[in-house]
Amino acid sequence: MKKLSIFCCLLLMCLQVMAQEEFKLPAYEKFQLKNGLTVYLMEQHEVPLISVSVVTPAGAVRNGEQPGLADITADALRYGTENYTKAQLEEAIDFMGASLYTSAGKETAGLSATFAAKDSEKALELIKEVLVKPAFPEEEWEKAQTRLLAQLDQQKESPRAVIHDYYDSFVFDEHPYGNTDSGTKASVKNIEVEDIRSFYEENYHPAASAIAVVGDFKKAEMKKKLQKLFKDWKGKGKPESINIAEVPEPEKPRVLLVNKPDARETTFLIGGPGISRNNEDFVPAQVVNTILGGRFTSWLNDELRVNSGLTYGARSAFDAYKKDGKFVISTFTKNESTEEAIDLALKTYHRLHEQGIDAKTLESAKNYVKGQYPPRYETAGELASLLTSMYFYDFDESFINNFQEKVDALDVETANAVAKEYFPAENLQFVLIGKAEEIKDEVKKYGELTEKEISADGF
Amino acid sequence: MKRFLLAFLLCSSAAFGQTEVEDVKSFTLDNGMKVLVLEDHSIPNANMYLFWKVGSRNEYPGITGLSHFFEHMMFNGSEKYGPKMFDRTMEAAGGSNNAYTTENVTVYTDWFPSSSIETIFDLEADRIANLALDSAMVESERGVVLSERSTGLENSNYRFLNEQVKAVAFMAHPYRWPVIGYESDIKNWTKEDLQRYFETYYAPNNAVVVITGDVDYENVKKLAEEYFGPIPAQEPPREVHTVEPPQLGEKRLVVDKSVSTPNLMMAYHVPETGSEDYYALELMNAILSNGNSSRLYNSLVDQQQLATSVFSYVPESFDPNLLYIYAVAGKGVEETALEEAITAELEKIKTEGVSEKELEKVKNQKLMELYRTLETINGKANTLGTYELFFGDYKKMFTAPEQYQKVTAADIQRVANKYLKRENRTVGVLKDLPEEEETAQ
Repeated sequence: MKKLSIFCCLLLMCLQVMAQEEFKLPAYEKFQLKNGLTVYLMEQHEVPLISVSVVTPAGAVRNGEQPGLADITADALRYGTENYTKAQLEEAIDFMGASLYTSAGKETAGLSATFAAKDSEKALELIKEVLVKPAFPEEEWEKAQTRLLAQLDQQKESPRAVIHDYYDSFVFDEHPYGNTDSGTKASVKNIEVEDIRSFYEENYHPAASAIAVVGDFKKAEMKKKLQKLFKDWKGKGKPESINIAEVPEPEKPRVLLVNKPDARETTFLIGGPGISRNNEDFVPAQVVNTILGGRFTSWLNDELRVNSGLTYGARSAFDAYKKDGKFVISTFTKNESTEEAIDLALKTYHRLHEQGIDAKTLESAKNYVKGQYPPRYETAGELASLLTSMYFYDFDESFINNFQEKVDALDVETANAVAKEYFPAENLQFVLIGKAEEIKDEVKKYGELTEKEISADGF
Repeated sequence: MKRFLLAFLLCSSAAFGQTEVEDVKSFTLDNGMKVLVLEDHSIPNANMYLFWKVGSRNEYPGITGLSHFFEHMMFNGSEKYGPKMFDRTMEAAGGSNNAYTTENVTVYTDWFPSSSIETIFDLEADRIANLALDSAMVESERGVVLSERSTGLENSNYRFLNEQVKAVAFMAHPYRWPVIGYESDIKNWTKEDLQRYFETYYAPNNAVVVITGDVDYENVKKLAEEYFGPIPAQEPPREVHTVEPPQLGEKRLVVDKSVSTPNLMMAYHVPETGSEDYYALELMNAILSNGNSSRLYNSLVDQQQLATSVFSYVPESFDPNLLYIYAVAGKGVEETALEEAITAELEKIKTEGVSEKELEKVKNQKLMELYRTLETINGKANTLGTYELFFGDYKKMFTAPEQYQKVTAADIQRVANKYLKRENRTVGVLKDLPEEEETAQ
C-alpha cells in the first residue's frame, strides 16, 4: 500500500477527479554499498509491514549445459546457511508469520520477503544468511532432487503449467532465451552440490545485485542496518557478462504438437518475436495489446469467448526480456473445435494488420490502461519488486511518472504503426498440447510440423 | 490516516493495523441492501464488491451450476446496457471487473479509478434491476462455461478429485455437487430457470455491498440511494433446510486418471464458519500445513519424502462443510503409505496435543495474514464482506485476532479429537489404475 507524494495528496484534497492524472512513484532513496550492492529504500507506513526484494542476474540464461541449474541454485539458498539448518530457518520464518522466497526466472534470480516491522531485525538477518552465507548441504539437495524429479513429471499433468517452456524451447531453441526455467530429468539427475555451489559463486555478486526495502521503517536507521549486514558480502567483482545475441527471426511458420493422449482440450500458443523491456515503444505496444488481447473486451476474448463460446478465455501478451522478447496469443478449446479456434484466433489477430485500430477503441484502451495502473503498485511488495526491476532493466521512476503522459500521447496513427511494427504478421510459431490422434491432421496446415510426446523428458 | 488499532495485544507491544473499526461506516437502504464504506485515499482508485447470498447450496439436481452460470449472465446485457455494454462501458471508464461463485455466495468485483464511481453505480443498478436474458447470449455462454469446467479438470488434479470426494462425503446436503455444476445440467437448464433464479436471489435485501478506496462516504451514500434505492425488495428466498446426517463410517473412493503419482484427498466433516470451534479449527489447520515448518509438510514432504506437496484447507461456509487434506505422492510412493503418514500426524495431535510455541506461531501467522489483506483496497473490501456474511458482522474482522488469542493448546487437541475421526472422513485417491483393475470395476 502506498501513499502518494505530498503534492499529490494536496491535490487529491482539492480536486479528486484529477487524482488519476497525478499518479507518481513515492519518493525513494538509492545508494551503493562499498561492495557494489545497490540499495533502494522507500518508506510506506500504512500497514506495519516491510517487504524486501533482491535481484541478481543469475537466471536460466546462465544454465550453460545444465538445464535447471539456476532455478535449483535459487531454491538451494534456503536449504540451510552457515548459522541455520534448513529446519531452523523455516521455523524462524514461520514463527514470525513472515514469508521468504527465493526463485529464478529466465534472466534473473532473486528473493522476496514480507515481515512485520517489529520483526525486522530477525528477518533481515535471515535474508542476509540466505543470500550471503548459504551452506548447500548435501543431504538437503538429495531430498530436493528426489522431489524435483517427481515434480518434473507431475507438472506435465497441467498443460497450462508447461506450455511456455515448450514454446521457449521450440522457438528460441539454442539461444539462451530457449533455456527453460524448469530443468530436465536427465540434467537434474546429474546435478551435484558442487555444481550448485559453483553456480552461486560465479553468478551471485553484490556488485551486480540490488536490494529494495519498502515499508514501515525509518530510512536512516534502515540504511545503517543494511550497511552493517551486507558489508561482508564479498563476491569477486562482477559476474562474467554473457553475450546474449539478437534472437534470429523465424524463417517459416512452424508447429510443435505435444501429444497428451488423455487431453480433453487443446491448449495452444501462437507467437513470434516480441520487444525488449527497454524498447522505446514499450508503453504504446502495451496499449495496442490491450485492444488485441489484454482485457475482457479485447478482440481475441470477444471473438473466441463472447461471440463463439469456444473458450473460457483468450488473450495475448508481450513477454519482454533485456535484449528481446516474445509475443504470444494463448487460449484453449475442446478437442473438436481446435481448428475452428485457431482459425478464428488468426483471423482476429490479422484484423490488427489489415483493418487497424479506430479512435474510439484506442480511447477506451487508453482509459483502461491508465485506470488500472495505480493498483499495480499498491503494496510494499509490489513497489519493492518494481524497484529491483528498475535496477535490472535499467529504467527509473520517470517510466512510472511519465506513464500516463505516454499513454495520452498515443494517437491512432501511431497506434497503427506500432501494431504493424511490433506484432509479427508472418512466420508465426504454433505450440499445441493436445490429443495428437484427433487434431494432428487439422493442424499440419499451419506450418512445418514437429511432434513430441508429453511423457518424453524435457521440452 | 495513520492510527493504531487497539484491540490486539500479542506479547505486550504489537499494535497491528492502521484501519480501525470506526473507519468502516455502514448504512442500510430502505429496500434492505446493506452498504459498507471504507475510505482509503492511498491510491486514486476504488472498488465495489457486491456479495449475494446465493451459491451452489441453493441449487437442486437439474440446475446444478446455475449460480455460477448466472454469475456469467450478469455480464451479458440489461435494459440500458445491452449485451457486451457492461464490460465495454466499464473498461472505457478505466474500470475492470470479475466475479466468483462459491458453494455459498456469488461475489461481483469492480475495480475503477475513483472518478468513475457514478458509472459503476449506474452499471450495477441497471443489471440488478433490469437484467435482460438474451437467448443467443445464454447459448454462447454455455460453451464458455463448459470450457471453464473442462479446463479446470484438464489442468487441476485437485479439482478433478475434489468433485468426486464431495459427491461421496455428502449424501444429502447440496455441497455434494461441484460449484460449476454437472455437464448435463449446464447443457440443459432453460432461460426460465435463470429468470426464476434472478427474481429469487438478486433482490437488494439479499446483498451486501462493500466500497473501499478513494471515495467520500457522503457521496457514496447519495449514489447508493439514487441508484440502488429504487430497486424493490423481494420476499426473502427460502432457507436451505437440508442438514447433512451424521456420517456413520469411513467412506472411500478411487478415481482413475493418467497421473505420474497418486493424489490423495482426505475430507473430515467440520462445522460451519461462525461456529464456536471455528477459530480452534483454523489454528489446527495452520499447524497442519501452513509453511514448511508445519507438521504435515515437515513430516511428509521433508523428513519422510513421501509427498511432493501437501496442504489442508477449510472453506468459509454457511453450513457444516469439510476440512480437506490434500497430498501428491512422491515417485514410487503408494497412496497407502501417504495416508498412514497423514493419519499418524493427526493422531499425534489428538494424543499429545500441540506445543505453546507452535500455537504462538500460528497465531502470529493469522495476524500477518490479516495484515496482508489490509495492504490493498481489494483485500479490505473482500475481507470486510466475508466477515459480514460468514460471521454476521464485519466488526468481527477487527476482533478476530482476539478470538485467535483466546484459543488454547487444549482447544486444539479437543477439536482434533472431536472432528479428525475415522468414521467422520472420506478418503479419495486419484491414480493411474492398471487395466485389470479397470475391467474388474
